[in-house]
Amino acid sequence: MMAIDDDLLMAFADGELDALARARVERALAEDPDLRARLEAQQRLRARLAAHYGPIAKEEPPERLRAMLAPKIVPLAPVRAARRPMWHTFTALAASLVLGLAIGRTLTAPGSIGVEDGTLVARGALAEALETQLASAQADGAATRIGVSFAGSDGRLCRTFESAAAAGLACRGEEGWQLIVTAAPSGATQGRYRQAGSGDALVLQAAQEIMAGEPLDAAAERRARDSGWRGADSSR
Amino acid sequence: MQAFERELLTLLPRLRRFARALARDAADADDLVQAALERALKAQSQWAPGTRLDSWMMKIVRNCWIDEGRSRARRGRTFVPEEEGAAVGVDGHKEIEIKAQMHDVDKAMNSLPAEQREAIALVLVEGLAYREAADLLDIPMGTLTSRLTRGRQALVQRLEAA
Repeated sequence: MMAIDDDLLMAFADGELDALARARVERALAEDPDLRARLEAQQRLRARLAAHYGPIAKEEPPERLRAMLAPKIVPLAPVRAARRPMWHTFTALAASLVLGLAIGRTLTAPGSIGVEDGTLVARGALAEALETQLASAQADGAATRIGVSFAGSDGRLCRTFESAAAAGLACRGEEGWQLIVTAAPSGATQGRYRQAGSGDALVLQAAQEIMAGEPLDAAAERRARDSGWRGADSSR
Repeated sequence: MQAFERELLTLLPRLRRFARALARDAADADDLVQAALERALKAQSQWAPGTRLDSWMMKIVRNCWIDEGRSRARRGRTFVPEEEGAAVGVDGHKEIEIKAQMHDVDKAMNSLPAEQREAIALVLVEGLAYREAADLLDIPMGTLTSRLTRGRQALVQRLEAA
């Protein structure tokens, strides 16, 4: 009888043998209980490794790893430190999150973004959504979804949003909605939106940086909209 | 999100499993994945679209692990194998405590030399064919199979004795 060494037996266990060699090992296995025991030990090992490591591939990877791949936050508004000192920390945060330029993609969203005085502003459907849509009452199929609305530390009212093209944070200036950051959408596809996507999470993080107090509740959000999004700085 | 990042995101669960089979414990494994992602994002231009991103990425994880092992050795925090008895210094004491809580499979895997461990991780945990694993490690097939065999013998011995 052919001696079957461990290399050959393990290649058999791994399905690495051609038909001829496989048949040879099978014949030897049929005749040799010791060889069968060695093969079974290998099969137990494989099962044990699978039981130990297999579940890891079924876990949701931790946020810190997913965030490295999802977000592409770009600060869009030039920040004037003198006027808005609080925003400094936010800029540093945003800069640390920049992994690439999402801006090219964002700008391709037809008619949603324009440039005014060197800053990016919402136009078209995005501007419309920011101006009129209430987070508390938005249609399931809405092209743009509003996240939270809140007063920023400079007194302006700000809102987070997400559409198929971009997620972001916008604040209401005198003329309209200025885009503070945009990020790649959090994996949103065809009208389905995930709550805790990474791009989304980073926009929220940015929002928290500049948020003064609590987010607006449904009633406050409605009042803010009905008054034309005039913020606390009513001198404007 | 670009296609590259999206594909990496779908690979992430597997990369974590692979890293877990290489690294000492779960925390080290995720640190390893993080280091590998950083490296991959920087080296993105070196990946040829259309080629296997999973192999490319596993190679990066593996290289990061090797580098981490080297720098760990330089810092003098080399893991002290059980057979060698008492650990050295304060860190050594901590290692022993960590080890006491470890799963049998982790212990057995930690006892393997790096070259056997990576072969086991690729073939038995990740299910790569011998050819793929040998290419990824840049070693001849015969070297791979002998490392696999020795690694498995050691694992069976440890796990079945327990």
